[in-house]
Amino acid sequence: MLITRRTLGLSAVAATSAATLGRTAHAATEPIRIGWLASLTGASSAPAIGFNRGVVFATDAINAAGGVKGRKVEIITRDTQGDPTKAVNATQELISQLKVDAIWGPTNSGESLATTAVMARSKMPNIHPCVVDSLIDTKKYPNAFRMAPANGQWDDAVRGYALKIVKAKRIAVFGDTTGYGVTAAKASAAAFKADGADVVYIANIDATQPDMTPDMLRARTAGAEAIILWSVSTGMIARLLNTRGTMGWNVPFVGHPSLSSGEIGSLVSAKENWANVYAVGYKSCSFDAAGHLPPRSAEFVARLKSKVDLSDTLLWWVAAGYDAINLVTTAIEVTGSTSSDSIIGYWNSLKAYPGVFGDYTYSVDQHNGYPTDEVVMSAANSAKDGSFTLAPGYS
Amino acid sequence: MTAWFYVAILGVLLLLPLTGNEYRALIGTRAAIYWVLIAGLNLIVGFAGQLAIGYVALFALGAYTASILAAGNVIPEVHPALALIAAMGVGAIFGLVVGLPALRLRTFYFAMSTLGFATIVTQVALGWQDVTGGGIGLSGPSLRPPFDTPWGLYWLSVGLAIAFTIMTANVAQSRFGRALIATRDAEVAAEACGISKPKVLVSVFLFAGAAAGLAGGLFASLQTYITPDAFTFDLSLLFFIAILIGGRGSILGPLLGTILLTLLPEVAAPLAAWSTFVYAGLLLLIVLAMPGGIAALLDRESRKALPSERAILPQHQALQALLSTARKKQRLQLSGILLAFGGLKAIDGLDLVVEPGEVHGLIGPNGSGKTTTLNVISGYYKPQRGTMALGEMALAAGRPVGRAADGICRTFQTPRVIGEETVLENVMVGGTLAGQASFVEALLSLPRARADERRIKAMAMQALTAVGLDNLAGIRADRLQHSELRFLEIARALMLHPRLLLLDEPAAGLSVQEIKRLGALIKAISREGVAVLLVEHHADLIFDICDRVTVLNLGRILAYGTPSEIRAHKEVVSVYLGA
Amino acid sequence: MLYSIIASGLAVGAVYALIGITYNTMFATSRVMSFTAGQLGMLGGVLGSLFILRLGLPIVVGLAATLLVCAAIGVLTEFVAVRPVLKSLDQHLYVLSTLAFALMIQQITATEWSTEPQPFPRLLGIGEGIWDEKYWLPVVTCAVTIAALEYLYRRTLIGRAFLAVAEDNFAARALGLPERNLRVASYALAAMVGGLAGFSGGQLLLAFFANGPQLNFYGFIPVALGGLGNNRGAVIGGVALGLFQQAANFAVGGIFASVAVFVMFIAILLAVPQGLFGSSSARRV
Repeated sequence: MLITRRTLGLSAVAATSAATLGRTAHAATEPIRIGWLASLTGASSAPAIGFNRGVVFATDAINAAGGVKGRKVEIITRDTQGDPTKAVNATQELISQLKVDAIWGPTNSGESLATTAVMARSKMPNIHPCVVDSLIDTKKYPNAFRMAPANGQWDDAVRGYALKIVKAKRIAVFGDTTGYGVTAAKASAAAFKADGADVVYIANIDATQPDMTPDMLRARTAGAEAIILWSVSTGMIARLLNTRGTMGWNVPFVGHPSLSSGEIGSLVSAKENWANVYAVGYKSCSFDAAGHLPPRSAEFVARLKSKVDLSDTLLWWVAAGYDAINLVTTAIEVTGSTSSDSIIGYWNSLKAYPGVFGDYTYSVDQHNGYPTDEVVMSAANSAKDGSFTLAPGYS
Repeated sequence: MTAWFYVAILGVLLLLPLTGNEYRALIGTRAAIYWVLIAGLNLIVGFAGQLAIGYVALFALGAYTASILAAGNVIPEVHPALALIAAMGVGAIFGLVVGLPALRLRTFYFAMSTLGFATIVTQVALGWQDVTGGGIGLSGPSLRPPFDTPWGLYWLSVGLAIAFTIMTANVAQSRFGRALIATRDAEVAAEACGISKPKVLVSVFLFAGAAAGLAGGLFASLQTYITPDAFTFDLSLLFFIAILIGGRGSILGPLLGTILLTLLPEVAAPLAAWSTFVYAGLLLLIVLAMPGGIAALLDRESRKALPSERAILPQHQALQALLSTARKKQRLQLSGILLAFGGLKAIDGLDLVVEPGEVHGLIGPNGSGKTTTLNVISGYYKPQRGTMALGEMALAAGRPVGRAADGICRTFQTPRVIGEETVLENVMVGGTLAGQASFVEALLSLPRARADERRIKAMAMQALTAVGLDNLAGIRADRLQHSELRFLEIARALMLHPRLLLLDEPAAGLSVQEIKRLGALIKAISREGVAVLLVEHHADLIFDICDRVTVLNLGRILAYGTPSEIRAHKEVVSVYLGA
Repeated sequence: MLYSIIASGLAVGAVYALIGITYNTMFATSRVMSFTAGQLGMLGGVLGSLFILRLGLPIVVGLAATLLVCAAIGVLTEFVAVRPVLKSLDQHLYVLSTLAFALMIQQITATEWSTEPQPFPRLLGIGEGIWDEKYWLPVVTCAVTIAALEYLYRRTLIGRAFLAVAEDNFAARALGLPERNLRVASYALAAMVGGLAGFSGGQLLLAFFANGPQLNFYGFIPVALGGLGNNRGAVIGGVALGLFQQAANFAVGGIFASVAVFVMFIAILLAVPQGLFGSSSARRV
């Protein structure tokens, strides 16, 4: 079932985008073109696949309702495979050849670092969910907006939870050996130290390593009371959790949203291995004590029902993809223009724009639009339809 | 035909800016930058036949060197142009480091060692965060006006790509290019011509490394920002595959391959998640559709029919003219040579003298040590005992490469020629040592390099005329008949005005008529003062033209004397001639 | 801790060795180093998970189906990517054709299976800790495979025919051996060995589409260390690599472990270009 659904979705995207090649003229009846730089295949493509469902859903919804002022919305997808070179090519193609009105993505920081300057050169309105802090710089890149938390916001949430609620004093920090894992682990360890915590062990682990026992043993020997994890590799996370289970060491894991990725549920050797694991989550996509989503999200999930599969992805990915498209179309709808100045100008004026994923606020000199208090920790193993239960300690 | 392709490519490059489409500028720049690297790599892969598949290592090194220097996070900021030059320097040095294993490792092993280097470079870039920015990376060098715009960078890259095309074409057409191909297709013959594989390879490794470093620096500018993720295995393969698709020993082929591989993914891009699958499928189709590469497709010349009725007519005047630049005549003297393979004595205390101006026949039953003796003289085998001297000069044992310079040239039992090169080029390989210009001079086609070419070419034509193959000069050697290859090898050996010529069964496979002409040719060569040592089974030829004959049996001399003495020698008759 | 390094080192080493044997088996009859070797290892894991977990087949049936599909892919490789380029081996076009084919296999898996690692079923349910089946299954599989191959090559007619083709395929053809069919058969056999590598190591490596390139690299090293065509050498090389890699992971951490592996690899190759157990180079003249 998974296979067919995904295939269908992708080929639909492929077909739409293939059909749009070659047309370049702009006119009031011409469709609104939004470029979508998705890492659909290649390593760590789960988020993009989730985002893509939101993108397709939003587009279908808008077009079914008659489009934006009578103009259809057209998504032009490029599979960047997480490769910065492919991302730069696709970005320039979207800008110069296909003349899109705005670009959503890319979804990996490595790609985004390379494409941001290219987009800035053409003042292309760009909205992306990448976490690296330096990607947002309103002086250098006045066209780039972030609609998800920056790494610092994730880091704050994780650190706050580990120190205040888990009350750990001795911390072990793990990252994988990708660019992201190395950098995030280093920054996280530094921030813990700055907060006076004792970082007893820090390691970058090769995600393909079949056995995680050595690093876990070292962390235990060093007396770690919590393990902070920065990695998108679900295989590595599952191996770590299984090793913890085998060792009979119930140390809490706190860290990256991937800790709550649905894949882990099938990869852990016993259900309880996934307990006492806390991943970054979002209030908008978390169940309260009574098991209810916030009203806006609940209504969104109801609309997705039977149209979008949430069982193997995360609600926040779908919601963010949905919001991204709506942020673009709303800007065009409100200003009545597809010029980059008016789209960027509109975004700069947003105060608590009510999206599904969160309320976005931007100004001329603040393009980190996601509210920090929306970032919470959730119980990693509590996923139901892509949403999570808040971690213990939040009231 | 080839020229038209170059003109067409140049035309497209010049017209592209008129479209004003910056996406096209980007793709054009990318292709040009890749080509700068591939042009250099082509000398290693396409010409020297080394499987260097990990060149992204040097590309990354160049990119990081240029970016780090321009950013000034280690030493004070330097001018971007200097940063690019430094990237070339670093590329050249590491080009040598990455390349040197090729002198010891063969094909796939070398390939994997280059891939190992690629892994090491990206991991170091990731781990050495203070300098390289680790996973976050760092900004590429921003060039100064007028190169700071997309089209400015385009012109810079295209200009450099043209420059590197010309430089590699210069190398390809020089004695260095021929030497590279010779080490690829006929390594043993190359050594016999005095070509030192390490020496030629070192030059191209430095050059290709510099090209890769420069390309990396430009790439960092183009990307505006580099992280270790940008230097993927796929990119490394693209460099390598472009050359394979293009075809070996060609420059236009790999150039078209580069363009094709840069454009293909863009054409497939609208297929989103299926784009890479389609790209791979197209690659496979290309291999199946044109297994010889683009170059073979373009090579119409080799499909023309050859005259079926043709004769090899050696010209004595040309031979005299060729050998007139006399070298001092020297005699070859072997004394007490002993060579054993394990317990088996292949040569057992051999004394042999070959006088200048004489043809000395070396005969004997199979396994008597004739070819082995030739291999000892030409340095392929190192005898356990005994000495060799040419005139007053002692010959070092086991050093094949020095022999040509000493004036010792040879042919082989199975002709060792480069099938994909023309007859003329094959003979010119023999003249490699006659060149004086350095690799750099050849690269830039400076006057001395051009003079070398003219001289070697004229000499080769003369040698071909001398052996009677002048009318086949422009034909690919793999289209020749076996007998013609034997004469071709003699022409190649004559290129260095040998003092001593070693011939290993030159008459095998020749017609009676051809053997006659061969005999006359060999005799004429010896009469110019060359000492000729002839290993042969054709008794008639031996007795016709030899001045002296040595008969070997089981590694020892069975008999020695004039042809008539040998013919009357009882033991020889019973052991060998079997009359 | 030492025991866990040894257990996982032996396990991954056995998987690498099996991939090395896959390379060797394909090389023997065709003189081609095929980049599909690692992808077959990847497929062993993915197909095993597909048949047993997703389709719910019994383990034995799942294994048989996995090997069957792998063998089919092996045969397809021979037809599509090897046979057409055999005529011009010295142009190294096989690098291109087998790579393109390997890339197609990987992309299909990425889009049709998943880009995230998927679980691989527990097969026997025997052992725990360092004696867990996930560690010893690859080792046992490797031992059984090498024993079976030795038996095949030494005791059976078809095995001897393989050896004859490997030794000198012109002579073999002259003797009337069906050289072409033997080559196809060797590709099927190699593919099954590759599939076994992935299947037996499935619990360690998971059913993950990106395992292919990884296995290609690390599966080649045993071949280089052990000497091309030498299966016993590949096993020793594979185990040595597995242990070294796990020890390096432990000693210098994830980032520099691969650097250590490759530095060691290049250093050994330079010292012993023919591999530790390879025959010395043939005479040139």
